[in-house]
Amino acid sequence: MTRNRFIDLPLAAVAMLVYVSLYLPILLIFLLSFFSMRRGKVNWDTFSLSWYAKLLENDALGGALWNSLLVGSLAVTAAAAFATSAAILVRSRPDSHSARLLEYVIFLPFLLPPIITGLSLLIYFREAGVGRGILTITVGHTLFVSAIIYRIVLTRLNALSRNLVEAALDLGATRIQTFRFIILPNLRMPLLTGGLLAFALSFDETMITLFLSGTDATLPVRLYAMMRVGFTPTINALVTLILGFSILLTVAVALAWRRNADSARMTSGEGRT
Amino acid sequence: MDAPDTDSRHEVAGDRTPLLRIRGLGVRFQDFEAIRPLDLDVLNGEFLTVLGPSGSGKTTLLRTIAGFQQPTAGRIEFDGRDIADVPINRRPFNTVFQDYALFPHLTVRENVAFGLRVRGIARATRDARVEDALGIVELEDLGDRYPAQLSGGQQQRTALARAMICEPRLILLDEPLAALDATLRRQMQKFLKVVQRRSGITFVFVTHDQSEAITVSDRICVMRSGSIEQIGTPRDLYYRPRSRFVAAFFGASNILEPCRIESTGEDTTMVSTPFGTIRVDGPPPRVREGLALAVRPEALVPAAGDACNRIECEVVSVSFVGSETITELEHSRTRHVLTMKTRSDPSTRQPVVGSRLEVGFDAAACALVKGARE
Repeated sequence: MTRNRFIDLPLAAVAMLVYVSLYLPILLIFLLSFFSMRRGKVNWDTFSLSWYAKLLENDALGGALWNSLLVGSLAVTAAAAFATSAAILVRSRPDSHSARLLEYVIFLPFLLPPIITGLSLLIYFREAGVGRGILTITVGHTLFVSAIIYRIVLTRLNALSRNLVEAALDLGATRIQTFRFIILPNLRMPLLTGGLLAFALSFDETMITLFLSGTDATLPVRLYAMMRVGFTPTINALVTLILGFSILLTVAVALAWRRNADSARMTSGEGRT
Repeated sequence: MDAPDTDSRHEVAGDRTPLLRIRGLGVRFQDFEAIRPLDLDVLNGEFLTVLGPSGSGKTTLLRTIAGFQQPTAGRIEFDGRDIADVPINRRPFNTVFQDYALFPHLTVRENVAFGLRVRGIARATRDARVEDALGIVELEDLGDRYPAQLSGGQQQRTALARAMICEPRLILLDEPLAALDATLRRQMQKFLKVVQRRSGITFVFVTHDQSEAITVSDRICVMRSGSIEQIGTPRDLYYRPRSRFVAAFFGASNILEPCRIESTGEDTTMVSTPFGTIRVDGPPPRVREGLALAVRPEALVPAAGDACNRIECEVVSVSFVGSETITELEHSRTRHVLTMKTRSDPSTRQPVVGSRLEVGFDAAACALVKGARE
């Protein structure tokens, strides 16, 4: 197919339009966190970090950030343990009905509208008499991100020879030694990749968290609350910081993903010299 | 299939004690009988090959011995002790897997050391034994490589060293050469044989390749649809097959049937076949019904005036395949087909297609076997 200028140009224009409409608002927020704006024009002389300074003064935000990091770490740890056990179970008996069922149960919270997950958990916790707080948010996030880690871990397990476990047992290893020396080392990269991805999801999660947070708000929930009171330029600074952190996480995930793929290739023996 | 079992038992005995006694062992998957109850003795220090086409139950038999598969009937005794309740990781044998199952995140050295590591052997002892094992399989220089950086043959030798490190009494090998190319396969066959001889470890080796089985084995156990068809030395199976199946599997592709015994003597039997009456040397057959006569293609010789069995044929086709020439013949009267394999020789003329040819074979070069109807 030869390239046609009459098609290429309009295509490029559409692509540009998409990118501009996607990224211009973000760019604007980024600029507004440093500069002030008058009559639709950025005033370049007004560079200041005052909005960031204001953020530091705001203790509630510091608490929210801490909550986000805490919930993220707890949820990723719990989800990793749960998803890994589930993946090993499903891998060991791929044809059983209960394994299929387990898989559905893991994927469901990820596919359900977050508002449903959030609402049902809220009702459940209320009936069970569990007060809303870090614990309830962590449970919600664990349910939500388990599917991600499960999928990545299972993909790697499927690439490993099923005989590895038999070989380890055959050589005299106990079940626990087999897990510790053979399975776990091969899951290091998938767990890192899945964990980072799950952390990024947990860090951004708003809808489920809204239902489950009492006074312990996470960063997105705090941001949401701030906007209801009134739109202040501190929000721009906060959004810019969250954005920066999310970009860092995304880059980390991308790098981990590449190393994960490399080690998977080693595992399946394609990298043979 | 009933007659030969009594006989295979007495072959098994002798002065060597069995390391492994398998009695009435059966494996059933729902409604599929993978192994029909069978008896097998594995002698101490022998190289026993379990040979059979795919689906014959040979790998299931190996996996049951290793402990990966639970038998549904019978028992396995090791050194006179029933091992039904011994879990995989406590059985005194090790396995070489078809895909080697090397641990991808460990180096060659760490792979080989694994069996010692999980047993808590001290590092100094461990290192020395690993170096010894690497020396045996000639991998001293590749100890720090990862499995993915090895060739197929090197991976194979790593798997062997790993299985030998704990000094098992028995090593089970599940088609370990299947993934290698023909040249490497032949090298590895010799290598396995040498390692087995030197170490004195009993090998139970599974393959579907009869020429491989003949090359490496002390004894061969031929399996077919979950049962043992015949056990014996490679020469036994090659020259004295007991069934049409074993005969064909070992290349005796000329099966003359139906056969009827005309008379039996001390050491010869006269058999009437579609090709006429044939003299067969050897002890008289134990059964007289349902027999077939197996003749190896290389036993046939053209224009053999002095051979005791002669058949008048017509040449159907001649193919020159290098060191050998393969001639398809048709019996002049009954149109039955025979195959003759002769050494190619530049000085003699090839048979002409369509011409008449009298072929002969020796009375010792054929075997009476169980026929198709069993």
